[in-house]
Amino acid sequence: MEIGPITRALLRNKIRFALIVLQIAVTLAVVTNAVNMIVAEYKDMQKQSGFDDDNLLFIRSRPFAPEFDKQEYRIASAEADLRALRGIPGVRAVSNTNFLPWQGGGSSGELKVIGGDGSVYRTQEYVATPGILQTLGVKIVSGRDIRDTDIDDDPNSTVSTILISRQLEKLMFKGKSALGQQIGNDAGTNNIVGVFDPFYNPYGWPIHEYCVLFAGHVSRTGARFLVRVEPGMLKQVAPMIEKRLIATNGGRNVELRPIPEVKSQYFTQNQIVIGAMAMVIVLIIIVTGLGIVGVTSFSVAERTRQIGTRRALGATKPAIIRYFLMENWIITNSGLVLGILLAYALNYLLGTLSSGVTLDWRYVVAGVLLLWAQGIVATLMPAMRAAAVPPVIATRTV
Amino acid sequence: MLSYNTKIAIKSLRRHPLLAAVIIAGIALGIWASTTFTTVRHMFARDPLPGRSERLYFIRMDNWDPARPYESNGASGLKIPPQLTYRDSMELIRSSIPVRQTAAFISNVVVFPDRRVSRPFASPARLCFSDFFPMFEVPFHYGHGWDKRADANAEQVAVIDDATNQKLFGGANSVGKHIRLGDRDFTIVGVLAPWRPFIRMYDMFGNFTAEPEPIYIPFNLTPKMQLRSFGNTDGWKSAGSTYEDFLASEVDFIQFWVELRTPADVAAYHRFLDDYVRQQKKSGRFQRPLLNDVRSLRDMITEYGIVRPQLTAMAVMSVLFLVICSMNLTGLLLGKFLARAPEVSVRRALGARRIDIFMQHVIECELVGIAGGVIGMLLSIGTLRFIGKLIANSVHFSLDLEMIGAAVFLSLIAGLLAGVYPAWRVCTVQPAVQLKG
Repeated sequence: MEIGPITRALLRNKIRFALIVLQIAVTLAVVTNAVNMIVAEYKDMQKQSGFDDDNLLFIRSRPFAPEFDKQEYRIASAEADLRALRGIPGVRAVSNTNFLPWQGGGSSGELKVIGGDGSVYRTQEYVATPGILQTLGVKIVSGRDIRDTDIDDDPNSTVSTILISRQLEKLMFKGKSALGQQIGNDAGTNNIVGVFDPFYNPYGWPIHEYCVLFAGHVSRTGARFLVRVEPGMLKQVAPMIEKRLIATNGGRNVELRPIPEVKSQYFTQNQIVIGAMAMVIVLIIIVTGLGIVGVTSFSVAERTRQIGTRRALGATKPAIIRYFLMENWIITNSGLVLGILLAYALNYLLGTLSSGVTLDWRYVVAGVLLLWAQGIVATLMPAMRAAAVPPVIATRTV
Repeated sequence: MLSYNTKIAIKSLRRHPLLAAVIIAGIALGIWASTTFTTVRHMFARDPLPGRSERLYFIRMDNWDPARPYESNGASGLKIPPQLTYRDSMELIRSSIPVRQTAAFISNVVVFPDRRVSRPFASPARLCFSDFFPMFEVPFHYGHGWDKRADANAEQVAVIDDATNQKLFGGANSVGKHIRLGDRDFTIVGVLAPWRPFIRMYDMFGNFTAEPEPIYIPFNLTPKMQLRSFGNTDGWKSAGSTYEDFLASEVDFIQFWVELRTPADVAAYHRFLDDYVRQQKKSGRFQRPLLNDVRSLRDMITEYGIVRPQLTAMAVMSVLFLVICSMNLTGLLLGKFLARAPEVSVRRALGARRIDIFMQHVIECELVGIAGGVIGMLLSIGTLRFIGKLIANSVHFSLDLEMIGAAVFLSLIAGLLAGVYPAWRVCTVQPAVQLKG
């Protein structure tokens, strides 16, 4: 095709076309990095806890009656609550526990293997009554579940019965079984009776998959429960729970939080970044597209006489359209070459300013394809207007 | 001349309303995106207490396990627990070096209002000293905080926030009224004005955009009411079984802030801390190497990484988006101005100087910039409100003076930069060429 003449014509209006080339370059850089960020945030959100999150509910009892100052009363009340909760239709499993998944935190402690090499490991630690595994929807992979007889409510006791997560077993015991072993610290020693899997709860420290469950009641600052309902029944069961618990004991207030809401709040920042970057991508494509339409229209307007002359000399309409598509092709490709460099430069800059993920070359390819498509679509309309220029223009002097 | 040029500029914009709309929309989009995301970042990054933040210092001491350091993920890399023990706080508060100081932590109390008004309810409560209120510029609606004598005598006085005052007293001036917290009767000495600092700068753990506590009571009530922390606590040793054990333990749960006026004071306080720790080492505590950290509020914001990396990335991308919009604008303006070359040539032939043509076109660009900027800012305000709702906790994003100034500045600059080249091109057009036909 007429690459030579087209290029020379472009070079005669250097600044104008340099502008659009630069614009396309920056567009590619921003779009590829935005896609990069979106995918990173999306991947972050894909981590599964392994629990039946969609059907879990967290309950907090906030007592104010003075009877709750005594531990025996509190524990009896917690047990009464458990019975009341189990009796509600739609409730599948319950546990009196201080574990709240997807909070981004919780409670943790440092433990070592008794009789081991003295290495200390930090792990998430929660107290729970039997039923916790069925509530979360996770399984015992070796040993047994905790039983009511494992619970020792004596506050001065220093020995507890515990379950640990499989990942913690791997971490603390390397290849060997944890069953029958003891782990602890100066607060007490604990007997491992079972190992469960899976477990994932994002935490401030990198201990997301390490968990110790102590058999026991949670009541000191008010009882807490995790409830698992039959699939899809959260909305129906929640109001019944509040009523039933207040009826069981009116000396306290009750707060409910569905786990899907906790989870969604945890991911709010991810969702904002994804939404914002998606919007930026769409807007940039539109803006640069309009810019290309503008530049091409101007180019067409400048060359009206030349187009008319060529048509008078026998050029077909498609040939005219091809001319302008070719012009755009050269511009776009120059922009994309520069844009690839800028994309990696921007990625590096973002990496130093904030923590960035390195650019996957596939996003660059996707960006190039997208901008090629954008260029063609944006050029078509002005090009078709150009093709509509009648040959008689060549003869006009006005 | 200015008004004449402005008139022409407006006329020219009106002649091609669609094109003018597209141009203004382009700028508006760019300003909207860049203002929104730079503001979001700015709200996290800016100084929560301008003028005071360099004088407020957070105290940390390494009372951790001699066997291994505290795993900290602060920006400084310092491995030091973020809070102090009760016993250390009670000793430190006796120093006369700081001009103001407070120890503080969150607990929980049960509020027993008049039964006709509301059922009893549990409420977070902050234990603090009287200096807390002036140090963090806590705004009062009625009354004020308590005084040092109330601190020393652990008087049963309380400060409540606006929401609690609305709930319990209908928003009236409740200073002097009584409120029962737990098993004790308290007198209200102050009611806060509605207060929602963007960053909860006096306690930046965990969720630092959480709301401030609704109730404040003197710190020295802690042992009397046997209060425990409902905030973050860290410990490497057992806290014992009784409450007295807990108070004497190595459990870190107290935030300790001092206000120091001069660098000499800062140095003196550092020496005071070091001397204290050395003396404690003699009785077997603080077995790790001596490490005390006295860090200004501003530096603590960096330490906690309050500004998440994604915020900076989004701000950068949005500014680049503005750059793209400006480049777009230049292209459009170039086309528009050059299309007017014949008209400009007539004016030049009639004696207009190049500078006049230039000024007229620059003014046209600035008008577009301002119009786009205003629209962009309004859109931005709406978007920020929406984002604030999304991030729960009724967080309040708003454009402060600094950000509005930045938005205005950006729109003027964008208009100028976009238009300067096209304006120059059009004013250097050779009149004769255009007029020839």
